[in-house]
Amino acid sequence: MRIVLALVGLALLGYGAVLAWEFATSRTVNAVQGAAWFVGGPLVHDGLVAPVVGVAGVALARFVPRQWRTPVAVGVVLTAVLTLLAIPLLWRPFGVVTNPGLHDRNYGLGLAVALGAVWLAVAAAGVIRSQKAHL
Amino acid sequence: MNARLARLVDRLQPEDFRAPAHNEKVTARLGLWLGIAFLLCFVTGLLSHFVQKPPGWFVWPASPVNLYRITQGVHVLSGIAAIPLLLAKLWSVYPKLFARPLVRSLPHALERLSILVLSGAAFFELATGLFNVAQNYLWGFYFPAAHYAVAWLAAGSVLLHVAVKLPVIRRGLTRLGDPEPDERGMSRRAFLRTTYLTAGVAVVATAGATVPLLRNVSPLSWRSAGPQGLPVNRTAGAARVRDAALDPGWRLELGSMRLTLADLEALPQRTAELPIACVEGWSQNATWTGVPIADLLKLAGADPDRPIRVTSLERRGAYRTSVLPATHTHGTLLALRLNGERLALDHGFPCRIIAPSRPGVLQTKWVQRLEVL
Repeated sequence: MRIVLALVGLALLGYGAVLAWEFATSRTVNAVQGAAWFVGGPLVHDGLVAPVVGVAGVALARFVPRQWRTPVAVGVVLTAVLTLLAIPLLWRPFGVVTNPGLHDRNYGLGLAVALGAVWLAVAAAGVIRSQKAHL
Repeated sequence: MNARLARLVDRLQPEDFRAPAHNEKVTARLGLWLGIAFLLCFVTGLLSHFVQKPPGWFVWPASPVNLYRITQGVHVLSGIAAIPLLLAKLWSVYPKLFARPLVRSLPHALERLSILVLSGAAFFELATGLFNVAQNYLWGFYFPAAHYAVAWLAAGSVLLHVAVKLPVIRRGLTRLGDPEPDERGMSRRAFLRTTYLTAGVAVVATAGATVPLLRNVSPLSWRSAGPQGLPVNRTAGAARVRDAALDPGWRLELGSMRLTLADLEALPQRTAELPIACVEGWSQNATWTGVPIADLLKLAGADPDRPIRVTSLERRGAYRTSVLPATHTHGTLLALRLNGERLALDHGFPCRIIAPSRPGVLQTKWVQRLEVL
């Protein structure tokens, strides 16, 4: 089972490597920017995103009261991911000209409303948990 | 400062990360869901690739008419769900980055290298995909070719990773056995639930682009309504066809025949409910009226089960021509009307192809010529 999986995996990797090689050697911009995007993800994550997550986790544990910890952590995670998803819609220096009906909503407002709902739920959960703890 | 940072990183041990999130049972569960999301992405992406560049053996059915709409919707939404799953999975295994020595043996070195490829490919696919659905091009390369090549690298490195880790996965997927949450942070169960909740919220926040019920719920859906109730991906202005499309001298070239718009309108019309489903994941149903392609083939004296090549008034560009396979001629219209009105210029006036279960880029607009193949 493991051997078969590994062999199939290697075969797909090999095919991907051939395609990537053809892609990279056809134009300089493909090689340079393709490599930058490929290496950029792990670098930015391991060097920046993960340490920030770690520090945020430690700060949460140290400064947020026990009953509020989980709701606030959930709120922070949702805020981060929703903001991440909104970036390509809000920051468009390289976006195509807006077409009728596409990418034409008010995403700043949409994100604000979504985050408002998230933190309202966080507040409600925190209050309920604190009340329960006092009983 | 740099030296102190380097010393800190050097001193940091995997054991210093004590939060329950780093437990292998958490990792295995996140890996399972991330694997499912990636599998859905890979299979639906491959289907979309084959629909657009069909190899000889590939047959894509014309019904159900929503098939492509569903597969491509699944492709984009499983990619969206994979973003929080990937971040949580990597946080779960982050302590392993600090294991020393860096390399223990040749197999160990190869394994670490394959994980670097896996991580690079996963981020590449999700990041370029996310920006591509927003049609926001932070790169100079051709997105489909890059996204396709790296998809194979991702699929291969996932399989290899599963093969290497299979005993750990088996062990990890046994009972979660959550000890009481303590001062070390969120419990295993809470970390998992937070991740699943975030993946669900991410999907709901964007799915309005393709799921009608969520149209007015999703705050980050990348589409709204558009002219005649349908978004436009490429305007007549952008395609530089405005003058040619509005020219009263326009004729449809069908074999040796030349048909005016009035000729087409005089032919028996059919009305059908068909979706436009874009490769970028948005989709929208609409009511189209026009002449069935099979009727036009008969009119030209050809077998109605022949594939045809459609050519647009567009002078250049990747979407100037499309080939409609024989499987689709009976369900496809040369549409003249949309939602009860004559086609808007941006929707392909004087006439456009609207086929069931095909990506939007193949629904050629501003049609000039139909050739029987």
